[in-house]
Amino acid sequence: MKTRTDIQQGTLALMVLKTLAVLGPLHGYGIGRRIEHISGDQLALNQGTLYPLLLRLEQEGAIASEWGPSENNRRARFYRLTRTGRKQLQAELRDWQQTAEIMARFLAINAEVRP
Amino acid sequence: MKPLKRLLARIRNLVSHQSGDQRFLEEMEEHLSRQTEENLRSGMTPAEARRQAVLKFGAVEAIREQYHAEKSLPFIESVVQDVRYSTRILGKSWGFTSVAAISLALAIGANTTIFSVIKRLLLDRLDVPHAEQLRLLHWYGDRHTVVTNMWGMSDNMPEGIGAASFSYPAFEQLRRDNHVLEDLFAFKDVGRMNATIDGNAQILQGELVSGNFFDQLQVQPQLGRPILAGDDRIGAPTVALISAELWQRAFRSSPAVVGRTIKVNLVPVEIVGVAPSEFTGAKSVQSSPDLFLPLSSQPRVEPRGSNGSLLGASCPQMWWLNIMGRTKAGVADITAQAALDASLSAVVRSTLRPDKNMSIPRLDLLDGSRGLFLSKQVFAKPLEVLMAVVGLVLLLACSNIASLLFARSMARQREVGVRLALGAGRARVLRGVLTESFLLSALGGAFGVALAFAGCRMMPALLANPWERAQFIMPLDWTVLAFTASVTLLSGLLFGIVPAWIATRSDGGACLKPTGPGSTRRRRGLSGKLIVCFQMMLSTLLVAGALLFVGTLFKLAHVGTGFRTDHLVLFAIQQPESRYPAPKDLQLHHQIEERLRALPGVQNVTLSEVAYISDSMENANFLPEGETPNPDKNQSAWNNAVGPGFFQTMSIPILAGRDFNENDTATAPKVGILSESLARKAFPGQNPIGKRFLAHFHPREDTPGDLIEVVGICGDTRYWSLKQDPVAMFYQPYQQTPNLDFGATYEVRTSLSSASIAPSLRKAVHSIDPDLPLQQIRTQQEQIDASMQQERIIAALTASFGVLALVLASVGVYGVMAYSVAQRTSEIGIRMALGALPRQVITMVLRDATWIALVGITCGIGATVLSTHLVTSLLYGLHPNDPVILAMSAWLLALVGLVASWAPARRAAAVEPMQALRHE
Repeated sequence: MKTRTDIQQGTLALMVLKTLAVLGPLHGYGIGRRIEHISGDQLALNQGTLYPLLLRLEQEGAIASEWGPSENNRRARFYRLTRTGRKQLQAELRDWQQTAEIMARFLAINAEVRP
Repeated sequence: MKPLKRLLARIRNLVSHQSGDQRFLEEMEEHLSRQTEENLRSGMTPAEARRQAVLKFGAVEAIREQYHAEKSLPFIESVVQDVRYSTRILGKSWGFTSVAAISLALAIGANTTIFSVIKRLLLDRLDVPHAEQLRLLHWYGDRHTVVTNMWGMSDNMPEGIGAASFSYPAFEQLRRDNHVLEDLFAFKDVGRMNATIDGNAQILQGELVSGNFFDQLQVQPQLGRPILAGDDRIGAPTVALISAELWQRAFRSSPAVVGRTIKVNLVPVEIVGVAPSEFTGAKSVQSSPDLFLPLSSQPRVEPRGSNGSLLGASCPQMWWLNIMGRTKAGVADITAQAALDASLSAVVRSTLRPDKNMSIPRLDLLDGSRGLFLSKQVFAKPLEVLMAVVGLVLLLACSNIASLLFARSMARQREVGVRLALGAGRARVLRGVLTESFLLSALGGAFGVALAFAGCRMMPALLANPWERAQFIMPLDWTVLAFTASVTLLSGLLFGIVPAWIATRSDGGACLKPTGPGSTRRRRGLSGKLIVCFQMMLSTLLVAGALLFVGTLFKLAHVGTGFRTDHLVLFAIQQPESRYPAPKDLQLHHQIEERLRALPGVQNVTLSEVAYISDSMENANFLPEGETPNPDKNQSAWNNAVGPGFFQTMSIPILAGRDFNENDTATAPKVGILSESLARKAFPGQNPIGKRFLAHFHPREDTPGDLIEVVGICGDTRYWSLKQDPVAMFYQPYQQTPNLDFGATYEVRTSLSSASIAPSLRKAVHSIDPDLPLQQIRTQQEQIDASMQQERIIAALTASFGVLALVLASVGVYGVMAYSVAQRTSEIGIRMALGALPRQVITMVLRDATWIALVGITCGIGATVLSTHLVTSLLYGLHPNDPVILAMSAWLLALVGLVASWAPARRAAAVEPMQALRHE
């Protein structure tokens, strides 16, 4: 059995924003599938938890949503990135890369010094 | 930015009631069906595909809650939840809720009403720009002051006199000399004037104003033009500015009123403008005169003095004008006062030529922003008392609710314990209890505002005479509402926080143990009892106060007036001096008197210069023949000029000598009747009949006075007030006095009511002169009731608050005793199992209650003794610490305490020992 990682707080939002930035307007199911797909099914994501997050992002103005027809002629709610969301994505990406770099350096040093 | 956006979105959702549930369910359904389809494609059975989809989605309820929490404001939601819960709890125990809410509503309503009245009567300023700049000129004189003739209110003090009235020459001189205030302006409230509008005779209130009055007050009329300097010139045509109220009442707000002519005291007057609706003139804040007339019109519309004119230099001895001015930038009040005082001394010296025994009045500057501020003299003291009383009632209501909530929180200890044990946050539980008390106070506050609104509508009617139009309006304004709101909030917090804190203080576990509440009973019982002691104390104070005021009213109502007060209809006739110069006025009144006597239904009719118990009086120098004038001795007596048949109509006994009769005409020798006490004082040990005395009505005028022969002695009567003991006075036939320049009051003895006899009286007077209106038609009893109005209002209000206090105290005692009995059920059970009799149990509970009551009452009596001297001036015939009243209130409270604890005591005695022990 594969080990599944719990998603760190805040990173899911970044994933959602990035997904929408790459793929354009998408419904909730699609976003969930995409995240699972990219992570190689290594994330323990309860897909339902996406929806409160989507709502939060929408209330923050980072994304917008509307009902629209999906591929198989059914109704689905489509989410898209807004201008605010794009800016937020860039800012968070920068932050994330910075954090990742620092963590990487930190962990590397730690390994060298160990007696 | 982000949190703000989220908050706004949430508030929007909350307000628009978007639960978002629908959207979530739809999206979930969509999601699940897609996942199911995909699972199907990968080869699962339909049931398994669906199951796996749901599993992958996660815990629906948790997510749904999360979604919901994201969508709305959980804090507000939980507050709403608290409110719902509290409403349910309060609704369940409606008895408790209604007692608490009603007592709070009464307290808040009473406070708001009294505060509104205080604001209106004592705090509000004239509605003119920068009222705070206004200064009122005023003077003080000692007993030898040169000013003796005054028209208007004065403050009489033992050491002298003070007034805000000045002579016309003084006004002119002060205005000329003045460089310390802005231009001085003058006004005079002349009171009732007979006006004829469209052939309709009616009574209007008039104010004479100087030509710069409106200019200096910075008031522009809403229609037409103000009274200008050009109008205030001798010989100018008489014009008037009318009040907005008269404009509406008599002219239906027609703009064509400007240019109309009306008759004021028979003088044609042209209306030039309408005052703004908030403007009340310069005299008072509460009510506006109907007419503003220029000072120059005084000799025509309101003639006074020897040649009718008080203007120019013609009448320097008459002091009548009120003077105001605005402060000048950079001039201190004290500087202004000194400068004005100097010019006043100069003008007094030059116009009145005082001799060396006479003193010159000292001028001082008063705050003029509230006009003459007469309401302060009349209402300040009673309103202070009422404010204190309603404040105590509010405190009582709050402590009552505190003790009720306290008892409840004790009873709910177990519930709170369970909630705490189940993991409820302490703050959350605290908030729940606070919500409840706050809800209760909000309920009380809402009812209180409604009560206050009604009270404010009622108050003007209470303060006015029953036979006159209520003259002032009392709006419920924002300041007062804010005051009420804060009182409500504060009381809600005040009495909510303590029980809430106590309820959550103990740890949950202890409360769940069966013996939990018993272990700390002693201490908790004590704080409840302390509150009840405090209530008993406040109630004793309030009840004693109420009894004092009710006692005062009772004593006043049972004062012997010395004359018969029933079936007596009064009205006044003020003849215009221009049409009836002396002695024509005497003939007019003789004619009216004769005409009235012939009317059906009239048993007896007479007239007098001064009506009884109406706060008017007349005084004259009185010298028994042979006595010499002595300035250091009070040689004056009260007097009244009366018509024939006066003593018979009023049922005042003639004790010796004879009554006046038809032979005592203007040309006959002058005769007088002395009251018993004057006879005793002026002619001690002698028979006064046939003796003579010198009466001098206007001591400053150079007339010799009248030598009057005593022909009779009558019984003593009260004169201007019920509170004043019968005074030494003498009577003269009005035909033998020089004039009746203040008009006369007719007294009609009839078996008819005043309403049913008024038309025929009016018709009779109309047939003599259609321009003479009957003024102030009322019965003598109404007149007396009106004189007791202040006492009645205070007695009624304090008595109802006293009753409220008793009710609150009994609720408090009942609550605390019921609680105590419930707590001691097992103890009582054991006692009874060991052989205690029900009677003994009752005694035990009652003894407990009696102790509480005794401590409270003792403190209350102490507080009463310490505080009632403050109201001495409002009492009549009672000592502020009247022992009977103190004893009565103590007994009343003790009785209430016993009655209230009777039911809990009975309940204690009915405890079944076995049941009580099993309960344990």
